[in-house]
Amino acid sequence: MADGWQNQGGSSPGDELLQGLEDLKRTIQRLTKGAGVWLIIAALVLLWIGSGFYVVGPSERGIVLRFGAVVAETDPGLHLHLPWPVERHVVVDIGRVRSAQVGYRPSGVPGRSGRGSGRTIPQEALMLTGDENIVEVNLVIQYQIQDPVKYLFGAFEPESMLHSSAEVALRSAVGGNTIDYTMTDGRLEVQEQAKRALQSLLDIYQTGLFVTEARLLAVDPPNEVRDAFNDVVRALEDRDRLRQEAEGYQEDVVPKARGEAAQMVQQAEAYKAQRVIRSQGDAERFLQILAEYEKAKSVTRDRLYLESVERIMPTMEKFILDSQNGGGVVPLLPLKELSAGETAAGAVASQEGR
Amino acid sequence: MVPRLVIGLGLVLVFVAAQAAFTIGEWEQGMVVQFGNPKRIIQEPGLYFKLPVAQNLVRFEKRVLTTDAHESEYITLDKKRVLVDHVSRWRIEYPLQFYRSVRDRIRAMARLDDIISARLRQEIATHNFLDLIREKREDIMAIVTKDTRETAKTFGIEVADVRIKRLDLPEEVQASVFARMRAERERIAKRYRAEGEEQAQQLRAAADREREVILATAYESSEKLKGAGDAKATSIYANAFGKDAEFYAFTRRLQAYEKILSNDTTLVLNPDSELLNYLQSPGSSPQASE
Repeated sequence: MADGWQNQGGSSPGDELLQGLEDLKRTIQRLTKGAGVWLIIAALVLLWIGSGFYVVGPSERGIVLRFGAVVAETDPGLHLHLPWPVERHVVVDIGRVRSAQVGYRPSGVPGRSGRGSGRTIPQEALMLTGDENIVEVNLVIQYQIQDPVKYLFGAFEPESMLHSSAEVALRSAVGGNTIDYTMTDGRLEVQEQAKRALQSLLDIYQTGLFVTEARLLAVDPPNEVRDAFNDVVRALEDRDRLRQEAEGYQEDVVPKARGEAAQMVQQAEAYKAQRVIRSQGDAERFLQILAEYEKAKSVTRDRLYLESVERIMPTMEKFILDSQNGGGVVPLLPLKELSAGETAAGAVASQEGR
Repeated sequence: MVPRLVIGLGLVLVFVAAQAAFTIGEWEQGMVVQFGNPKRIIQEPGLYFKLPVAQNLVRFEKRVLTTDAHESEYITLDKKRVLVDHVSRWRIEYPLQFYRSVRDRIRAMARLDDIISARLRQEIATHNFLDLIREKREDIMAIVTKDTRETAKTFGIEVADVRIKRLDLPEEVQASVFARMRAERERIAKRYRAEGEEQAQQLRAAADREREVILATAYESSEKLKGAGDAKATSIYANAFGKDAEFYAFTRRLQAYEKILSNDTTLVLNPDSELLNYLQSPGSSPQASE
């Protein structure tokens, strides 16, 4: 850029001058004796002086050079400098934020969204980390011209200087850290290191450039090992999933156990209450009978006994044996066979069918 | 004819002036050479004059220049091969020396490149690979910069710095790095999964333990409750039945008979028994005999 105007400034105004002189000569020859000659000369002189006017835009800064040396820096507005060949001017836009990329080149529309909006350049993007791994890094740099005089005259091709310095800074920052740190927690730190290193290099080289932002767009494992890295992410997910499942088990089992426990306790409570209440009932019943029994002991006793016998005996098989008459042989069993045969001596057998 | 003469003279003057006068810009420096002999060095920008025809001007860049070398292979102390590509920034400080020793920028760059490469080769050979990519990087650059600066002075060049830009492994070595990286990741993935199983088992075991404790506690309190119930009932029974133990034994036995003697029980009775004693002698009642 700086080269461009230097060449133009040296050659084309010179040609113009020769052209102008040629014109002047011809005009003078044609109008040998006229007042118009002086008018034309005056107009040309005015034009010459007028060529010293220049405009500096709102975000721009003007630099005035007198015989190649900087004599003034001008703010936005309309300005006049001494006409060529004494003074010249250069206008530099210091407001515009420019950007440069390391590791990729933007494709077509200047998208700043990151990966995918450009084409990666492996030689630039792949770099060694401090733990001897290889990582793919894309960096975008936003910068401004801070000092227009330095920008123009401090360094040769400041933009290309910025690009190679950015590579130096980035690789040095990445090389000083481990791959995991660079890819995760340390991303901002690495970014900041690269930015600081880049700015200090730009200052040393007198570029007059100021880095407003250096942003790591992508810090990825290279294609060759991407699957393995993705698997680590999946493994992390698996770990969480297993834990969640176990927590689910816990949340399932414990409340159920609590329910079961509550049931057991309730059942025991019920048992207890039932036992007490029933015993009270039984006791009451006994006490009531006892009260009546006290009034007529013998009768009640017999009655109760006989009532029970009546309830028990009717359906039972019964044998009545006289112990005195058949004392010797009586308890010989089986009695059922005896009753079937009707042969037992001295036995009174009575059988009631069901 | 007078104006024509004036104009002609003027044109000649302008031509001579254009030959004699020259400007040196902010970005450059110049050297006036007279028949091959350097006469004057100009380092400040401005308007200058020289003898026309006899003297001519050589211009030099004054801005900071860059030499971006191609990468080449170096060998580290631990015999690893690395590809290093360096970039150096420099300025022409003494145009006369520069003009005498290297003449122009292209040749200067080539010379610088040679000097730096040689120095770098020497320096890299005394460091291990890992140190090279980590903490020693800056030191090496500082040493190489310092030595290059010394040597370059003789060319009238002031070296701002020398930086290692890229430091990579040759392609065949890269493949083994990738293999190692893959193995490392696989190890980490395995660890994560094992940790997951570990935590899951811990949680499940804790849950099981909690369940057992809850159930046991519940069993304990339910047994206590049952015991309390039984005790209460027992005391109620004892209180009531204690009023007449003999009668209780009697009634309770009757109840028990009803339960234990079922239909298929065979009963052998003695006609003398209390139940049947009226069968033989209706006179004597149990009451009477008692």
